Amino acid sequence: MKYLDAFRTLAKHRRDEIVVTSAGNSGQAWWAATRDTEATFYLDASMSLSTMFSSGLALARPELKIWAFMGDGAFCMNPGMLMVERQMNLPNLTHILVSNRVYGATSNAGLPNYKDNDYAAIARSMGLERVFEFSEPGALERDFPAVTGGNSKGHTFVVLEVEPFSDAEQKLEQPPFDGPELKFRFGRHIEKRTDCDIFGYRL
Amino acid sequence: MSDKTPDVAKRIADELASCGVKLVASLPDNWLMGVIKTLETDQRFVHVPVNREESAIGLCSGAYMGAMGSAALMGASGFMTVIYAITKINYTYEIPLFLMLTLRGAGGDHHKHHISNGLYLKPVLDAINMPYQVIDDPDDIGLISRSYHHTRTFSRPMVILFTRDLLRGKTGGH
Repeated sequence: MKYLDAFRTLAKHRRDEIVVTSAGNSGQAWWAATRDTEATFYLDASMSLSTMFSSGLALARPELKIWAFMGDGAFCMNPGMLMVERQMNLPNLTHILVSNRVYGATSNAGLPNYKDNDYAAIARSMGLERVFEFSEPGALERDFPAVTGGNSKGHTFVVLEVEPFSDAEQKLEQPPFDGPELKFRFGRHIEKRTDCDIFGYRL
Repeated sequence: MSDKTPDVAKRIADELASCGVKLVASLPDNWLMGVIKTLETDQRFVHVPVNREESAIGLCSGAYMGAMGSAALMGASGFMTVIYAITKINYTYEIPLFLMLTLRGAGGDHHKHHISNGLYLKPVLDAINMPYQVIDDPDDIGLISRSYHHTRTFSRPMVILFTRDLLRGKTGGH
């Protein structure tokens, strides 16, 4: 499955979910697919922490649904995160593991044990129950809405098996935000969607 | 543990609650166990034990973006592993973060394996321009609120360093 095609499919089926991207190529891909300037936190260079960040957000705002992308390179740096996610078992959080079997952000450098890593099995071994895998575009188009659309009883883990970025795709634009601008754009969007006050003063 | 430490733990919990802290993410340090046990049974908090210290940084940073107050609790050694996460997330995006650490390796710490923390913890904090506040006396626990609110003004992290005398008592064990 092509990385960008998979992300375009997710973008097509997105309703009002908040998105957090990861270190790796997911920020570039999501920006290319959506040009979202408000409801996505592009958490670049956060090796292995996008789903922990998202778990904190999901805990704080149970009325919002959160999709958290994570590359498998980032995942390999901190697989124990799934123990924390399982323990928290937040029904409004979907962890989308983008498995391209390389370190995509560093010119597709090799990932340890890439042939044998079974991310779904790792997740199940840590007690996760809602585990789904997609490697074909047709199945993703057909079944992804049902995986994330309902009111689940617990945390959801989705593995997307995709091809690494091509050399041309590696040159896709990065989300063009300085950190503080992104913080305020995203935070003000969260404030508008909820009754919360993040920064100490609402606009 | 001295007779004073349960009172210290309760006062720390009260101070955190007064700041609006709800989420507490922790990894243990023996000196912190009284505080952690107090917080995990206190209904004012959601206590999340994490797998590594970086996860606490991620959790608390995300909670901030959802307007939930939070604190990360860890030992000095654990803090030394999170410099990348803090500088990338909290400095890049200017996301406040409140950390409470043990001042390991200082006078009174009998563990030789914490000598490195005695040598390098404060220099590392200085190197990344992270403000810190040492709390050595129960009467100074009120500085937690002041420091927590400073993170919100400063839009960056700040650290509290708890001493052994505070957490274990001057006659306490290791």
